Amino acid sequence: MLEFYEPQADYGTPASTSTELVTLSIDGVHVSVPQGTSVMRAAAESGVKVPRLCATDQLKSFGSCRVCLVEIEGRRGFPASCTTTVEAGMQVRTQSDEIAKLRRNVMELYISDHPLDCLTCPTNGDCELQDTAGELGLRSVRYGFEGENHLVAEKDESNPYFTFDPSKCIVCSRCVRACEEVQGTFALTIEGRGFESKVSAGQAEAFMDSECVSCGACVTACPTATLTEKSIIEAGKPEHSVTTTCAYCGVGCSFKAEMKGNQVVRMTPYKDGKANEGHACVKGRFAFGYATHKDRITVPMIRDSIDDPWREVSWEEAVSYTAQRFKAIQSQYGRTSIGAISSSRCTNEEVYLVQKMVRAGFGNNNVDTCARVCHSPTGFGLKTTLGESAGTQTFASVAEADVVVVMGANPTEAHPVFGSRLKRRLREGAKLIVIDPRKIELVSSPHIRADYHLPVRPGTNVVVLNALAHVIVNESLEARDYIIDRCDVAEFEKWKTFIADERHSPENTEQFSGVPAADLRAAARLYATGGNGAIFYGLGVTEHSQGSTAVMGIANLAMLTGNIGREGVGVNPMRGQNNVQGSCDMGSFPHELPGYRHISDGVTRALFEGEWGVVLDSEPGLRIPNMFDAAIEGEFKGLYCQGEDIAQSDPNTQHVEAALRALDCLVVQDIFLNETAKFAHVFLPGASFLEKDGTFTNAERRISRVRKAMPPLSGKADWEGTMALANALGCKMDYTHPSEIMDEIARLTPTFNGVSYAKLDEQGSIQWPCNDNTPTGTPIMHIDEFVRGKGFFAMTEYVPTEERANRKFPLLLTTGRILSQYNVGAQTRRTENSTWHAEDVLEIHPHDAEERGINHGDWVGINSRVGDTVLRADVTERVKPGVVYTTFHHPVSGANVITTDNSDWATNCPEYKVTAVQISKVTAPSNWQARQKSFDQQQQHLLQEARH
Amino acid sequence: MSESKSQKLIKMVNQIALNMAANGSDEMVADQVAQHLEKFWSPPMKSLIAEQLSVADSSLTPVAKMAIANLAKIQEAKHA
Repeated sequence: MLEFYEPQADYGTPASTSTELVTLSIDGVHVSVPQGTSVMRAAAESGVKVPRLCATDQLKSFGSCRVCLVEIEGRRGFPASCTTTVEAGMQVRTQSDEIAKLRRNVMELYISDHPLDCLTCPTNGDCELQDTAGELGLRSVRYGFEGENHLVAEKDESNPYFTFDPSKCIVCSRCVRACEEVQGTFALTIEGRGFESKVSAGQAEAFMDSECVSCGACVTACPTATLTEKSIIEAGKPEHSVTTTCAYCGVGCSFKAEMKGNQVVRMTPYKDGKANEGHACVKGRFAFGYATHKDRITVPMIRDSIDDPWREVSWEEAVSYTAQRFKAIQSQYGRTSIGAISSSRCTNEEVYLVQKMVRAGFGNNNVDTCARVCHSPTGFGLKTTLGESAGTQTFASVAEADVVVVMGANPTEAHPVFGSRLKRRLREGAKLIVIDPRKIELVSSPHIRADYHLPVRPGTNVVVLNALAHVIVNESLEARDYIIDRCDVAEFEKWKTFIADERHSPENTEQFSGVPAADLRAAARLYATGGNGAIFYGLGVTEHSQGSTAVMGIANLAMLTGNIGREGVGVNPMRGQNNVQGSCDMGSFPHELPGYRHISDGVTRALFEGEWGVVLDSEPGLRIPNMFDAAIEGEFKGLYCQGEDIAQSDPNTQHVEAALRALDCLVVQDIFLNETAKFAHVFLPGASFLEKDGTFTNAERRISRVRKAMPPLSGKADWEGTMALANALGCKMDYTHPSEIMDEIARLTPTFNGVSYAKLDEQGSIQWPCNDNTPTGTPIMHIDEFVRGKGFFAMTEYVPTEERANRKFPLLLTTGRILSQYNVGAQTRRTENSTWHAEDVLEIHPHDAEERGINHGDWVGINSRVGDTVLRADVTERVKPGVVYTTFHHPVSGANVITTDNSDWATNCPEYKVTAVQISKVTAPSNWQARQKSFDQQQQHLLQEARH
Repeated sequence: MSESKSQKLIKMVNQIALNMAANGSDEMVADQVAQHLEKFWSPPMKSLIAEQLSVADSSLTPVAKMAIANLAKIQEAKHA
């Protein structure tokens, strides 16, 4: 969908949600618009543009620029059309000689303090001030530049992605309002009064020194060149754009990739994107430079041993070499000796092809995906209780929530665009309960304060969830009618007896969870009685040995209070990567085919066998940790790993490395020589999201198009690479476009029956299920009944993890993410985002630090039962005593050298969130870090040999 | 067969049984654990855990042992 570059349509003020229509006359034409619509918007909707500067439809009307004046019959003066709402029978004139004169006079004053450098200005041709001056016919400025002005005001170029040039500022406050209303950070203000008024970041600081989170909302809002992307300053205005979907977190923001030829010059959040509605974060909006980074590998490479130099080869040779080695392995070690791991960073079509190649080409079910290590408990828990392995809502539904529970998630860091949406609702008055070991931003930040923060001890989520349910049941706060109508009552009664037991009371559980009983009781009452209750949870729930139990506990709470099946409520898993939902939907787990149908289901298997022309194995294959164990045992010898860096992201790094070293043939398909690729024998160059067509499915089940903005640097999109390998293995695939893959998915998957690229183009996006029953998709699930029929209250016995703190390992380490970096950092580390987070650090409470003689910034050793690493200390009260925290964005940090093999009982999702450790002051890197550095240098050298 | 791999599977099946313990009687839990193994474990894992039933001091819990015995019946019925 190539489009010549045009700024996105702007109606001046936000749309009204009223269903009542009001009819008025604008310039003699009758117009009907929803009640509450501004005159400016009514005019725009009828095709009349009223000039404006301070108004934009992303922000509430403000009425400061005085350019949008109109005449209204029977009214005195010249009302501002942005702040005047429509009334029945109103007669509006947008043009008259007097209006034109007034507007021109106002414009003249603006331009009298604005540099007249349009021809050399970076936004020349893309500037609302310039356009408006043109629309108003301003031909001269009578006041000259002799008087006091702002023309020499100093530029702030501190932010790596945009500049702030106050000499071009008209003080319309759009940036300030965007920071408040859209992003919710309140980093900007108007400092001073009258002539002294100026936009100021923080306390008159540089942008980089202020609270600014670099979301770019201010840049989008700015009508002049005051806030301008550095990429635009360097490259100039784009000439065409492609609408696509962000490849970072599970929010799945829609963007216009704005291009000059094959070069992306700007990513502009798309206003019609339903996940983000015109907003973005520092990753999606600015961190796209990795796609053309010098580290990209664009030529296939092979080698016999990981101690050999790489050899650049053609795609044909690489694919043929791989097929020959895989066939030889299967011939020697058996059909099940090879497998594949796919990635949630790849498209639906790509992960579908990987599982198809494994099942139909490898002849086994040894396929798994990175959701194994993040949200596999969500799939298990929600399928068991509700009947479908997915979240129940739209993001927009949070606008109807009255009480929001955020558990084990940090939306303002990991899902920032949703975080902004949530903060907006909280500022409107919704109540907030945060269940997290750390004081995340939502606990206390400008205009946001959690009503209750339950600082759960890592590993005791189930204790807290059970206690919440216990209070609701024992105080008879449950939604009895809802339960009788919607749930399996016999199972509910059984569960009720279990949960009512006194051992689950807040007073009895406080000793385990560390959550004060009074706070827990109050939080339970609030959730049960406060109106629409919505739960948002993340990996802080799933990545535990009881992850599946906790997910079921969350579903129980929602059913118990009648909070599933309408707007403003629900169970909302915050997916970590862009296509976690999609990769799970596409049959990437070893036990199930696309659409969550078990591989042992003969009817479903027959469907796929008919389409693919093969006989499928009816037994589950190996999960990722099983593959590692089998590799070390010598039973699993070949692995195709697409887009996932298991050597950095999976727990117990030394165990993973041992498994990778044991493989006879490791094939990595990626855009960079990631940590896993350093153990590989075949490297197939991957394509970034900008280089291919496909779809991603976000955390709200929303399927959105990924559209090719530039040709793949390696000559093949990832799906084409997989197809070539499948064909070389004798598994025939002849797709000419990913739309044909989606057509096959739709043919074979009931929840996707109605999905097609044509419909995606028409609707913009589709939330599955989409079929004959719901032809335009399903925004809210379980409305009349649960997918499984009656909701199932699962037993949620708390079984403590075996990973216990003791005298030797007295602290509990938990891990998480930071705003500027993404997952293993392969993409964001290769952008200016590292300006904010150049290294992972260890957060430690001042009491724990003092006990150990640790000061802020010291190097500290972190020792667990499986390994040790060294990081700098960040002494902070964000963590409570007894808990330490780090991120895992940099390979050298070795965060997963410390994490253990413990995993969720039902799904083997690793227990990243609980590792017993000891911390001590040190002066040198760990042995592992020294080895990692040496190995990295060796592998970089072997790569360089291939390139010369 | 290495000790570590079988020990890992024993730990897993014990963990599953423990987490399902509140679901009902031991017999019911053993049945549910068996179904879980059948549904999610690969054939080599099922075979290896089955072998542990005959190991005298395998550290399998009583419910886990029952579950493995039930799994064998499921497998037999499937292949009958």
